[in-house]
Amino acid sequence: MTEPYAVTVPRGYRVGRWEVREPIATGAFGSVYAARPAGGAGGRELPRTAALKFLPTGTGTPRQLAHLRELVEREVRLYHRLRQPRLIRMYEMLTVDDPADPRLDGATVLVLEKAESSLSALLAGGSRPAGGPALLAQVCEGLAQLHRAGWVHGDLKPANVLLLADGSARLADFNMAAELEGTHAYTPAFSTPDYTPPELLWSEIGERGRRIRPSADVWAFGVLAHLVLTGSFPLPGGTPTARRDAAVAYARGTDELRLSPELPDVWRTIVRECLTRTHADRIGTQALLRRVTDAAGTGRSARLPRPFSRLSRPFARRGRRARALLVLGASAATAAVAALGYGISTWVDGGPPGSGGGSGDVAAASYGAAELRTDRGVPAAYRLLIVETAHDCARREVTPPLIAAMLKAESNFDPDLADPVKDEYGIARWTPSVLRWWMHDDGTPGDTVPQPPFPPAESVPAMGRYLCWIAPRLDPGLPGDRRVLVAAAYRTSYAKVNDAGGVPPKYRDYAAHVAHYLKEYTPPGGK
Amino acid sequence: MYSIIVVPPPTPEDTRDRTQIRLAPGERLAFGRSERGNGLRIAHDGVSRRAGEIAAQGVFWTLSNLSAHQTYVVENPEGAGEHIKVGPGRLQAPVPFEFSRIVLPAAGDLLPLEVWAPRHDYVRAGEGADGETTAPAFSVDRTKRYFAVLAALCEPRLRGTPHAPLPTVEQVVSRLRPTWPAASRTAVQWNIDYLAVKLRLKPGPETAETGPRLNGKKESLVSLALRFDLVREDDLVVLAEPSGRPVR
Repeated sequence: MTEPYAVTVPRGYRVGRWEVREPIATGAFGSVYAARPAGGAGGRELPRTAALKFLPTGTGTPRQLAHLRELVEREVRLYHRLRQPRLIRMYEMLTVDDPADPRLDGATVLVLEKAESSLSALLAGGSRPAGGPALLAQVCEGLAQLHRAGWVHGDLKPANVLLLADGSARLADFNMAAELEGTHAYTPAFSTPDYTPPELLWSEIGERGRRIRPSADVWAFGVLAHLVLTGSFPLPGGTPTARRDAAVAYARGTDELRLSPELPDVWRTIVRECLTRTHADRIGTQALLRRVTDAAGTGRSARLPRPFSRLSRPFARRGRRARALLVLGASAATAAVAALGYGISTWVDGGPPGSGGGSGDVAAASYGAAELRTDRGVPAAYRLLIVETAHDCARREVTPPLIAAMLKAESNFDPDLADPVKDEYGIARWTPSVLRWWMHDDGTPGDTVPQPPFPPAESVPAMGRYLCWIAPRLDPGLPGDRRVLVAAAYRTSYAKVNDAGGVPPKYRDYAAHVAHYLKEYTPPGGK
Repeated sequence: MYSIIVVPPPTPEDTRDRTQIRLAPGERLAFGRSERGNGLRIAHDGVSRRAGEIAAQGVFWTLSNLSAHQTYVVENPEGAGEHIKVGPGRLQAPVPFEFSRIVLPAAGDLLPLEVWAPRHDYVRAGEGADGETTAPAFSVDRTKRYFAVLAALCEPRLRGTPHAPLPTVEQVVSRLRPTWPAASRTAVQWNIDYLAVKLRLKPGPETAETGPRLNGKKESLVSLALRFDLVREDDLVVLAEPSGRPVR
C-alpha cells in the first residue's frame, strides 16, 4: 500500500464562501480542515464554523478515482436526501476550481457541521459517561431517523457518533450507508469487526457489495450500548478476533450470551433484543427507540444528565501538556475517523479540534437558549428536537417558541398521551390518518396508516413539516399573529382559518393558550 | 459461517467437482476407514478405522492423529517444502497454513486430504489490528499464488483500459510462468476456484447452467477485486515484468 495521502490545504485558502483554518486530521482518502466563513461572506445563513472534508477526486490513478468517487457519492447522496436532527449535516458540496494547484484542482469538498468530539473520544477517557443512557437515546433516534427514511448506516460505532459543542450526539460517516431496496441494501464490503453482526461475518459478497439489513445497525447499537454502559464489549475475548469467534459461536447456538452483570436490568433486556442470534429475531428500530427512550427516561422526564462535563475537561486542562495532548490526540483522531470514514491514521498537529475553549458545560438543557427560554419549563429532553425542527423550516413563522408552545397546548409535553376518543396520540396529538401524510421527511406519505405510539422523535419533526406546509397557504391579509394562525390551522385546517378570516371561534381558547406560551418561551428581545 | 474447508481424497466416483466439507469454528470432522454418518469415510484398506480428527478452531484448525503407528505429515503446498509432522496419538496439533495437504500413508499409497483455511487474516498497511478500524471484509495474502493469479486477471484493466477483455486461463499461465515455472492450466484454475471461495463470491446465475462457465466466475472476481481495491496498480509487481515486454 502507498503512504497515506493527505490533501494539504494552506491556512487561509478560500473555497467558495469558506476560509480554511487549522487541519483537523488526514488519512489515505482525504483530509479534514476547520473552516470559517470568509471575510464578508458571513451573514446569518452561514454557521460560524464548519469542517471541510477534502477528497482528492481530481487526482490519483483512474482506478483509485472511481473507487473514491463511489464512496463520496454514497455519502453525498445521503446528505442530499436526508436532513434530520440526529445526523451530521452537510451545508454544501463544492468542487475546487484552481488550475494553478493541480493537487487541489477538482477536489470534492464536503462542508459539514463541525463536531467537538466523538463518543469514541469520550469512551477513551476510560470511565463510563454519566449521561450514557441519554446519549444512547440520541444515537437511537439517529438510527430511527435513518431507517425510517429507508437507509442503513452500515458502520455504526463510537467513532461515528459525533458530539457537538452543546453535547448532543449526531451520527456521521455515511460512506458505508446505503438506501434500502426492499428489505436489503448493498454496502461496500467494509466493516468494523466488533460491531458486525454474525450473519455478516464471512457473508457472501456479490459484485454490488454485501447485502445488509437495518437489523445490522441494531446489532451494532446493542454492542455500542453495552460498551457505553459497562465499559466492555458484550462478547468475551481480549482481541477483536476472539470476540468475532465468540460471536460466531454464539450465533451457531454453541454458546450463550453472557452480558456484563453491571448492565442495569432494563438495558439488559434491550441489549439482548439487539444481539439476537439471527437478524429475524432482532427488535425493530422503532420499537427499539421506544424502549431506549423509556429506559433513558428522556421520553417522560425532562432530565438529561450531563455527560459532557467529562468531555470538555481535557480541553480545559491545558497546563499539563503531555497528558492533555495525549487525550486530545485521541479525541481528534477519532473525530477525524468519523469524518473521513476509514483509513485515517495521522493527527496533523497538536491543536485540538475546536480548541477555542469556552465550550464548557453546555448541555441539552440550554440548547438553543438564544431562541427558546430555558427558565419556563420547556423539557430539556425536547429542546434539541424543537429547535432543530424549527430550523428545518425556512418559514419565519415556524420558530422554536411556536413549536414548544404548541406542544405545551396540545399535550403538556406528554409523549405518552393517548386520546382514543378523539383519535389523537403522542406529544403533538397526531391523528394517525393525518400523520401518515407527514411522517416521512421526503414528503412521501406512509404506505399504511401508522400505529401509535408516536414517539417525540417522530411526532415533532412531522409537526414541523406540517406547519411549514401550512404557513404559505394562509391568506397574507389575515389579521393577528401569523404564528398563532399557523397553530390554529394545525388544530383545524388552513382552509378553515382562511374561511373564518382568522382563528375560528371554536379554536380561540386553544389559540389563546398557544399565544400565552409563545410569549412565555420567547427570550427577551426575541421575535 | 464456516471457516475451514476439507477436500477429501479423490475417489473414482468424483467427476469434475470434488466434494467439499465445510466446518464452522468449533465443529469437528473425524476421518478413517470405518467412519459413518457425520464422519469422513476414507475407503482404503491402508487407513486406520479411526485415523484422525480435524477440528475447526477460529480461523485455523487442529489435527488429532488417532492412528497407532503412523505419523501424518501436513504440507504447505505453496511453502517450498514447509511442513509439520503430527505423530501417532498427538491430539489437536494446531496447523498454521492457509492451504494444507495431509498426507495419509496407506499401504504404499499416499492419500492427500486437503484442508483450506480461507479466513486467515492479514493486516493492511497503515491499519492497526485493534478492531476499531473500518476494514475491508476481505483479507488476502499478497505472497500467495492466488494473489498472483488475481493480479494477472486484473492486470489489463489496471494498466489503464477499464473494459479490456479478461485474459484467458492460458494467458494467465504464460503470464505467471516467469515467476511460477510450474504454473499449469489446472493449477491456475484451482486458484480461481479457491479465490471464489476465499472472496465469498456469491454464486452467479451461471452456476445453474451446466458446463464450465469460467468467464462468469473470472469476470465476477475481477470486478470485485477492482471494486474493493484488493489489487491496485502497485500490486502488479507480483507479476514478473509488464506484459508485452519481451522476456529477455
